[in-house]
Amino acid sequence: MLEAWHLPGLDPPPTEWLESRSRAGTAFRAPALTAAQARSVASSVRSAALEARASRSTHEVIEAITRAAGRLSAHEPEGMAARELLRVELGWSESLVAETLEGMSRTWTSEALAGLVESELGGAGILDGFVTDTRWAGQGRRSRRALGPPVVLQVLAGNVPGVAITATIRALLVRSGVLCKLPGSEPGLLPLFARVLTDEDPLLGRCIAATWWAGDSFPVAWREWAKWAGRTVVYGGSMTVEEVRRSLPANTDLVTYGPKTGIGVVLPDGPLSAVTALARDICAYDQQGCVSPRLVYVVGDSTRPFVERLAAALEEQTRTQPPPEATAAEAVAIRAARAAFEFAGYESGRSRVVSPGESLAWTILSSEDPAIRAESLPRVVWVHRVQDLKALEDALQPLEGHIQTLGYSGAEELQNLAALAARLSVSRIAPFGSMAWPPADWRHEGKHQLLPLINWTDFEIPE
Amino acid sequence: MTAPHEPATESFDLLSTELMAAFEGWRPGMPSWDEEELDRWARRAFRLQFQENAPYRKYCETRGVAPADVRGWREVLPVPTEAFRVVDLIVGDRSDARLLFLTSGTTRGRSAQGRHLVRSPELYRASLRAGFRGFVINDDNPARIVTFPPTFTHQSDSSLGWMMDDLRTGFGSGDGASVASAAGIEWDLLDAEVRESVHAGRPLCLLGTTLGFAEWLERLQAGRSVSDRLPVGSVLMDTGGEKGRPGLRRANLVRGLAEQLEISPDAIVNEFGMTELLSQRYGCGEPAYPLVGPPWLRSRVLHPVTLEELPPGEKGILCHFDLANLGSVCAVLTEDQGRVVEDGIEWVGRTDGSPPRGCSLATAALLDAQGHA
Repeated sequence: MLEAWHLPGLDPPPTEWLESRSRAGTAFRAPALTAAQARSVASSVRSAALEARASRSTHEVIEAITRAAGRLSAHEPEGMAARELLRVELGWSESLVAETLEGMSRTWTSEALAGLVESELGGAGILDGFVTDTRWAGQGRRSRRALGPPVVLQVLAGNVPGVAITATIRALLVRSGVLCKLPGSEPGLLPLFARVLTDEDPLLGRCIAATWWAGDSFPVAWREWAKWAGRTVVYGGSMTVEEVRRSLPANTDLVTYGPKTGIGVVLPDGPLSAVTALARDICAYDQQGCVSPRLVYVVGDSTRPFVERLAAALEEQTRTQPPPEATAAEAVAIRAARAAFEFAGYESGRSRVVSPGESLAWTILSSEDPAIRAESLPRVVWVHRVQDLKALEDALQPLEGHIQTLGYSGAEELQNLAALAARLSVSRIAPFGSMAWPPADWRHEGKHQLLPLINWTDFEIPE
Repeated sequence: MTAPHEPATESFDLLSTELMAAFEGWRPGMPSWDEEELDRWARRAFRLQFQENAPYRKYCETRGVAPADVRGWREVLPVPTEAFRVVDLIVGDRSDARLLFLTSGTTRGRSAQGRHLVRSPELYRASLRAGFRGFVINDDNPARIVTFPPTFTHQSDSSLGWMMDDLRTGFGSGDGASVASAAGIEWDLLDAEVRESVHAGRPLCLLGTTLGFAEWLERLQAGRSVSDRLPVGSVLMDTGGEKGRPGLRRANLVRGLAEQLEISPDAIVNEFGMTELLSQRYGCGEPAYPLVGPPWLRSRVLHPVTLEELPPGEKGILCHFDLANLGSVCAVLTEDQGRVVEDGIEWVGRTDGSPPRGCSLATAALLDAQGHA
């Protein structure tokens, strides 16, 4: 039984348990917290966060996080434990797990984290004390300080493993303590990170509390934790976001992420060799990430050569990174999607299915007409032809504000594509092969990562 | 009834006439069709559908399946129900359809309704009545059939409406009544039927949706509808299940109705049907399984990923074979989960949608929210 919780200060010790199973069926449990227990944890996290502010510089926090994260990704016992954990929780292949952790951990280094702080706050100093704003010289001394609230509450999603850690690191960087509701599909990785961080710096480890309950249950612990939170951050689908919003007082400061999708665009001069990189993006999170390229548009006359090469690339990728077995719901949905394209193609000749026979390992649903209807199904990609960028923009219009990453291959019309993407509020444009791995200081969903958590204090002293 | 020979080519009219006779000749309690007999019909039906159902033939050819490869009903290539949303699956072409039934709603964001083009209402009727006679009320039961759901119109295109109309007006003495109105159920009319039945001692056979019966039970329990002991032989047939009404449990419904009407729970029969299938299954009392059907409707349970057939008792995806579907496709791969139990099946539930994917967006859901087709 996997212990899916990290609850510093929990008092009294747990007696009642909630149990469930991860995406691949691993049994896990977490305490069913009473109000008093939830309060004891929240109070402990708050105290630890305040103590850490007084005793640790932001630079020291970054260093501790980096050491802990490094142990999750390297060939150390914790790294092996993390890989094994994701393998059994998600049913992913070893190579997919290794690639995911490696990709994620690139954003957890001291260089990447300091870069993120620099990019959004101009440096870590402003989190440690007041920093004079020189732009106001001659009008008295003005300075500013940035700090997160003592406690941030997070509802985490499990579709992309590692994002729970990234989200938690953001809160720690702005010097907040953080209370986390873990995702049932992958509840184990964040508690593991919290334990390793505790080992590196016990005080920082006490700044994180994480546990699980059924997403729609909003138990007494949730209501208790909500009282302590200066910000609430939610990752999830529109239903989750709405349910969370409804469960909180109206004046709650809510930061939401999701739902979003990824798009791929093959420009007319896009080399067919780019399919290998695209196949990696498709398989990276089994098409379940908000950055995953579920819809790919081929600009030009035909999808056919592209689809054939992509099929070969997906087959090769499947050989090296076999997908986890589909769930019953996924299997049914994949077959339905295939049937829709296949039967429509008999009549119109304009759509077809390319797949390894009846195997559900990967699926290309290609059509010579533009469309934007897609689902989040493992290794299923919809490929459509569009005549030119104008047609592409018309097709994508209903997705304005909902595209997380636009991947591309090709160069000639790239500037026009970028302009189009900006008009559609796409938050990131990246070449195939790097869609799944945004840099640490990426403006996630077109928003800053740290600034939404910050409470500013302006300080004025007359000359 | 056996098919005496297997012609090299099949004619819909001929084969459907032969099948109709076989359906009409069947009575429950008779020895069921043996596998060999069913397989013979299955080979002939598949040959016809391969010959004359163009999209289905293409689907089979793409998978390298031809009539020579099919030895029996288990080997007839099933079509996913999704295909009914996309193409006309009919032996012949659209102009041969004499009835059109539409599926009720949306699934996983795809808003297009499925359509079942029915080439021979007579064949459908023969299967429907044989099953109803076998599992709901037999020929000796003089019950008056009273139906709750709206009657069939070509606007509503509901197979349920057509089926209930056919039984009400054509089964037994054919003097049934409908208590449906545009607004729902006319409770006064239903009360009058109950009174008359009790007064005359003639049993009632009430056909309706599970939700309709639930509404009636509430009225009975609140004293707003006439509650009386129904004459011996009375039967209630509910269909559609609990969905659409949170908290409704069929077990409570059956218990409540049995108490109010002083009938046996086994006199409350659950009908299991789907627009894509023209034959039905029935289950008595509660739990309403095994759901049993006529010998020309068979079901297998398949592993959801590999589609290999699972042994009885194991849960998987239901795949049906129905000879009453002669005019479309006999083998249908559903999105329902179930298991084979005894001589029938247990319906476990729909496999609804893919699970939520955290922050990842299924654009289909967004488009539906925005009202795009």
